[in-house]
Amino acid sequence: MRLSSPSGLALKWTANILLLLIGLVFVLPMVWVVFASFDGSATLAVGWPKQWTLENFQKVLTPDLAFVPLWNSLLLSAGCAFITVIVAILAAYPLSRYRNRFNKPFLYAILFGTCLPITAMMVPVYSLFVSLNLIDSIGGTILFMAASSLPMAIWMTKNFVDSVPLSLEEAAWVDGASSMKTLWTVVVPLVRPGIAVVFIFVFVQAWGNFFVPFVLLLSPENQPAAVSIFTFFGQYGAVAYGQLAAYSLIYSVPVIALYVLVSRVLGGSSALAGAVKG
Amino acid sequence: MKRSRVLVAVVAASALVALAGCSSSGSNDGKTIKVAYQDFGTDLMAKFMAKAKAGFEKANPGEKVTLVPIKAAENDYYTKLSLMNRSASTAPDVLYEDTFLIRSDAQAGYLEPLDSYVNKWDEWSQFYDNAKDAGKGDDGKIYGVSMGTDTRALWYNKDIFAKAGLPADWKPKDWNDVLDAAKTIKDKVPGVTPINIFSGKAGGEASSMQGFEMLLYGASKDGLYDASSGKWITGSKAFTDSLDVLKEVYQGGLGPSQEITSDTNYQNIVTSQLIPQGKLAINLDGSWVAGTWQSTGDTNWPEWEKTMGVAPMPTQTGQEPGSISMSGGWTLSMGSKSKVKDEAWKFISYALNKANSLDFDISLSQIPVRKDVAADPAYAKSNPTSTFFASLVDVTKFRPATPDYSKISNGIQVAMESVMTGQQSPAEAAKAYDDTVVGIVGKDKTKSE
Amino acid sequence: MTSTIDAVAEGASGRGTSRPPRPERTARSRRVRRSVARTVPLIPAIGLLVVFLVGPILSSFYGSFTNSSLTGAAAASSEWVGLKNYIDLFNSPDFPVAVVLTLVFLIGSAVIGQNIVGMVLALLMRAGGRVVGAIVSTFVVGAWVLPEIVAAFASYAFFSQKGTLNAILAMVGITGPSWLFAFPMLAVILANTWRGAAFSMLVYSAALQEVPPEITEAAEVDGANGIKRFFLVTLPMIRRSISTNLMLITLQTLSVFTLIYVMTGGGPGNKSMTLPVLAYQEAFKFSELGYGTAIATILLLVGAVFAIVYVRALKTEVD
Repeated sequence: MRLSSPSGLALKWTANILLLLIGLVFVLPMVWVVFASFDGSATLAVGWPKQWTLENFQKVLTPDLAFVPLWNSLLLSAGCAFITVIVAILAAYPLSRYRNRFNKPFLYAILFGTCLPITAMMVPVYSLFVSLNLIDSIGGTILFMAASSLPMAIWMTKNFVDSVPLSLEEAAWVDGASSMKTLWTVVVPLVRPGIAVVFIFVFVQAWGNFFVPFVLLLSPENQPAAVSIFTFFGQYGAVAYGQLAAYSLIYSVPVIALYVLVSRVLGGSSALAGAVKG
Repeated sequence: MKRSRVLVAVVAASALVALAGCSSSGSNDGKTIKVAYQDFGTDLMAKFMAKAKAGFEKANPGEKVTLVPIKAAENDYYTKLSLMNRSASTAPDVLYEDTFLIRSDAQAGYLEPLDSYVNKWDEWSQFYDNAKDAGKGDDGKIYGVSMGTDTRALWYNKDIFAKAGLPADWKPKDWNDVLDAAKTIKDKVPGVTPINIFSGKAGGEASSMQGFEMLLYGASKDGLYDASSGKWITGSKAFTDSLDVLKEVYQGGLGPSQEITSDTNYQNIVTSQLIPQGKLAINLDGSWVAGTWQSTGDTNWPEWEKTMGVAPMPTQTGQEPGSISMSGGWTLSMGSKSKVKDEAWKFISYALNKANSLDFDISLSQIPVRKDVAADPAYAKSNPTSTFFASLVDVTKFRPATPDYSKISNGIQVAMESVMTGQQSPAEAAKAYDDTVVGIVGKDKTKSE
Repeated sequence: MTSTIDAVAEGASGRGTSRPPRPERTARSRRVRRSVARTVPLIPAIGLLVVFLVGPILSSFYGSFTNSSLTGAAAASSEWVGLKNYIDLFNSPDFPVAVVLTLVFLIGSAVIGQNIVGMVLALLMRAGGRVVGAIVSTFVVGAWVLPEIVAAFASYAFFSQKGTLNAILAMVGITGPSWLFAFPMLAVILANTWRGAAFSMLVYSAALQEVPPEITEAAEVDGANGIKRFFLVTLPMIRRSISTNLMLITLQTLSVFTLIYVMTGGGPGNKSMTLPVLAYQEAFKFSELGYGTAIATILLLVGAVFAIVYVRALKTEVD
């Protein structure tokens, strides 16, 4: 939708105001998190802290509680996201380009099969990992998380690849390129925005995944932040809300930073339009 | 450029998998003892376990302890522990086990009987008898050694009592005394909730234990379950009587509003908001709540020592033994798949010797299960209410923690909820409960009173 | 050029009209090589899926026909119970309520909530300024990225009697009700919309970017105004993305548990007990895996029904 008229400016300002309103609505529930993180005696009630303090952050920013788990989260999420995206692109391309009567049932089957929650599957998965000797291994957990992110990733990637017209690849084939080369040099650059979305999605899911690392990892040095956050839940239902809030702020920062970084790709030009125009 | 990225990723992935395959986790090479525990409250358990490990390794050179902390809330902790217990290569040698689960886990074959060990232990006689029983499985064998326990009683606000003309050293003798006090407060001090008895589904196990069972076991000797015959009790008058009390409290305007009782944070609201803000006069709750108000707790309320009084919960008509309490608690158990059983026992007996038990009970606000620890002056000094709650161990009861208990507890909460909201009369709710119990355990495991 | 397309389009038939003639054997081996080459890229995906997922999925599906459990006697050796878990489930008085509530939750927070809010955000960000867009999208993504347990507490704190929402309403003189008690489904629907809108926003941003501007410009030249252009030109062009997005957020929303459990616990009573919460309270809390898996299987079926509805309604086909 191009803004090619003077009323385009008015449209832009209206859009900005609406955006800011929506942004405000989205930020409001997080008010509690911010207040509680600076509150020396935080509870679930929302209130201006009686004593502003950085104590919660101090208590939380230790190697054991924060740095090691965050590093583990990074390993798990980045490893999972990279593997998933690459395998998904490889799989989506033939599924998109080569018609095959197995495509439809295959896609549906993997999509629904993997939607069984991990809580239902934990026993066989655990036994599988024990027999493969992959319990307490970050590598094994990465592979499992990649496997369970694959169906959605393949589905989404295929969808984006579908919208690339064949004409561009045909041109490449005429020039003698193999299908792999075509994939990486022609198709992938065109679906960059879509791939960025898939990457962010898989990364964020992996970052917030509690149950899989909880089940498959044993040593505390291997646990990611999504698991360590439960340190703040004490006995008899007590919760250290202040530290929990501080921790969650620290926990969210890396992912938001990643989003800002990767969204530059989303802001990229419409290369497709350029290519079709000739 | 893209191709090299693929290459890097594939190499990295294979390297990780290869590394993973090489690392053999969990194979017990002779002298390493694996201890699994719930790592909660930032560092309470961690500190205790670290100290136990250091002391044990010093006293037993050549033997190593590997700690496996499991950071999770309750249910997830049980899940992880069960998963670990199923496979020999990951099963821990020593585990921090809730008394609640001893019977089910013993039935599942996860735990090793400790009778031969405890019978040769000179410190075993220091443990209270009911604490010893708490670690028993269905077959009567000992599957866990108690670390500490908790008891429950009536907390009351002396300031509000003064305003209502009630005594500062309140000692109710029976249920009527308790309800009368509540009614007096309702009349004399409006704007204050007279009494809270945890009730309803949102309260979860707190409703069953701090609420219902504190009433039921004060009205009947066997309560929910007849241990000698292994049968669940149905149709008991005590059950209906207990529901009557709840009806009087909740339908009679003596208890907290429905908004509060159906809130997922019911317990926290009572302990962290209503009581410190002086909005609740009487609360039937546990020995640990003072921990919340201390400086190390979540809601710093230093005035609690002056404001709050404690009284034992009386039995229904004041009949023997006069007061009643319920207890939970944790034990250290031994994994049945352990390859280092003797060493595991050495760790258990070391971690639960007098000094370490005392340390555990003080730092985690637990009630001692050993006579020598309860008598130790250090324990009495740690908390003004410690001695009082420890004295209740004499009359305390433990839940019938069979594998079916959690479903039956659920049935109790459902009955409480329907009486609280007025949907059913106590008699109807009791009948519904009876049907539920039959549905869970079968008619032959129930006995009518 | 045409022959190459034909070869691709005809699949493995290998018919190339303007290919130079070859002997039978080489043609067949060429066919084999081509189909092998086509499936090779699929091998990593199939490998991961088969090794890690197929076994456990089948195993747990089988488990729904047993009384398998994590503790108690059934943990030592589980028994085949046939359809008992499913029958118990259908007889449970809470089951019909749970199904209805799950559908309400799904349609309210995913199909309507996240979908529309995401689309609106994507459109506004294309029309608005870059800085404003960056700030707002960071907030929206922030809600998505927050750990689930913290997002749940934040939502609880927002909707509770003395929470942020009522504080704001008080500033304009309205005394808000206790949302979690009086309107539990509304509260959890709004909370889940807040939490998940970022995903739809991202998908639609990427999809809208791939719409060639010439087509919308052509429609503009033909006299169609903004709204008409959107509904008659843009939306049909991104049909597939809409269908995919709906399918994915449906499956995600069907498994939402922590958010609801922390906010209302399924209550008051069972007024907000969706199927995942039911599964927890009736099965996983008691370590009854077989029963829990049975409920999860029913959830899957609900998801499958919705997927079929999306594909039919949007007239997209999975090629």
